[in-house]
Amino acid sequence: MKELLRVVGLEKRYGPGCPTCVESTGPERDTNICPWCGSVVALAAFDLEVFPGETVGIVGESGSGKSTALACIYQDLPPTAGAAYFAPFEGGARSTFEANSQERRALQMRHMGMVYQSPALGLSFHSTAGANIVERLLAVDWREVSGMRAKAGELLWRTEVPMDRLDAFPGTLSGGMQQRVQIARALANEPPLLLLDELTTGLDVSVQAGVIDLIRALQQETGAAMVMVSHDLAVIRLLAPRSIVMRLGHVVERGLTDQILEDPQHPYTQLLVSSTA
Amino acid sequence: MTRIAELVTANSAGHMHGYNYAYLDELTKKEIRRGLLKAVAIPGHQVPFGSREMPIARGWGTGGLQITLSLIGSGDVVKIIDQGTDAGVNALNIKRLITRTTGLETTEDTAEATVIQTRHRIPEERLHKHQILVLQVPLPEPLRLVEPSEAKTRQLHADQDYTKAWVYLYEDIVRNGQLTHAAGYPVLVDERYVMATSPVPRWDVPRFHQADCLFLFGAGREKRIYAVPPRTDVRPLDFADYPFDVERFPQGCAICGSTTTFLDEHPAADGVARTYTCSDTAACEKRVAGGVLDPWPSFSNSRSRE
Repeated sequence: MKELLRVVGLEKRYGPGCPTCVESTGPERDTNICPWCGSVVALAAFDLEVFPGETVGIVGESGSGKSTALACIYQDLPPTAGAAYFAPFEGGARSTFEANSQERRALQMRHMGMVYQSPALGLSFHSTAGANIVERLLAVDWREVSGMRAKAGELLWRTEVPMDRLDAFPGTLSGGMQQRVQIARALANEPPLLLLDELTTGLDVSVQAGVIDLIRALQQETGAAMVMVSHDLAVIRLLAPRSIVMRLGHVVERGLTDQILEDPQHPYTQLLVSSTA
Repeated sequence: MTRIAELVTANSAGHMHGYNYAYLDELTKKEIRRGLLKAVAIPGHQVPFGSREMPIARGWGTGGLQITLSLIGSGDVVKIIDQGTDAGVNALNIKRLITRTTGLETTEDTAEATVIQTRHRIPEERLHKHQILVLQVPLPEPLRLVEPSEAKTRQLHADQDYTKAWVYLYEDIVRNGQLTHAAGYPVLVDERYVMATSPVPRWDVPRFHQADCLFLFGAGREKRIYAVPPRTDVRPLDFADYPFDVERFPQGCAICGSTTTFLDEHPAADGVARTYTCSDTAACEKRVAGGVLDPWPSFSNSRSRE
């Protein structure tokens, strides 16, 4: 398996479903609600390849299925159909969607890191920032308090959170710091794949720039591959050489980010580019 | 004779009229024994059972009592202790119920007993393979502190996902500089299930590891049975740099002078001066009377992980 991750025919449907759900929805039909059975087709026929060390951007409007795709890849959400082959999971011989709950947890704790749009989803606010990071180390059998604290401190230093906030509760940290603690947590076990969901949304512009610099530096340092979901084309242009554009659960365009942004082919991409320019 | 005394006069077999042998009906005993077999087969795993109404309130040892009643038969010698002593009100009441409904002999001597029901302590005298220790358990779920949902804790046990329990211990150390569990210290049983050690003090925790006797745990209110079979690995959860340790006492027992037993602390009237006496009163009395005790292997703090 050359790719780190290969997702094939991913589909996520909410509702009873009928044989015509997928063909009755999508950008051409201008809806993601099946007119026959009323199911919401959040994601359909979604393919994605990620090679080791590369960054792939996913852009699209709200409700286009970006976060759903990420949540399925991260095993947060069981897909309706499709397969995902991930090199660290049995060399890609078996789809990660066939993983049992123990294997699923190992995938989440060891082999992937997820940074959620809202820190409330990615962090436990009942535990300290340090404990949130240490949790992932404990999950891979670290059993020495001093070693784990040193590692958590180092991760906070790398993500530019003051070290003396190690034992602070996330609720007492600023939004930007919470996001950095999430990144530190995701990086803890040095996973080969990072999933970033609207990393900079909701942060003020100066903090955004800081977080983007951080991600660039970390990528060079750790060599982790990233899948980055954003509706902000500027962020995608800065960080992701390759992108896919989504609308109403379907991929409408894919290719090199520069090419897509300079010469958009799909009417929706054209609209997206012209409205940001 | 009072009316109650009339009701409880013994019949020819030595036990009370009007009740089945050992109070519980036979089908209930059968169900509990089935649960016990499953618990022994899966060490540390909590097995649900249909906890019955008992003539004592839930939370007063009904789980342990139901296990004891479903196990005992002719030839058994029963010992009941509460907080280490045979003379506690709860222990006496349970003992009285057992003798009245079975006619069995009871003892205070640990070495003589075949079935020992206990709350809070493992006797100071070592238990052997013909003996069963039944523990009354108030909180069987070791993950309850970190996860309130029963459905979720079951999933965590099934996945062997004990990260949350470890995070709790980590935060305990960060906050307090040491592991502060006073009772019910979490242990890993047979390299698989994390188990609550009932409310026994840390002092007793090493005794579960590779013991000769069978340990049975009953939680009546929570309707759970679990077990540690003989010769099973039982390891306290701890960290390499913060190893599990037992309690230390500044002086020995004021009665028998023992420095190798778990002691109760008694503040003097001024609230400052303290004396200490053995928590296991039967062992203390035996020592005072000049008897020889068969002690458990002593706990070494040098992180006894082979």
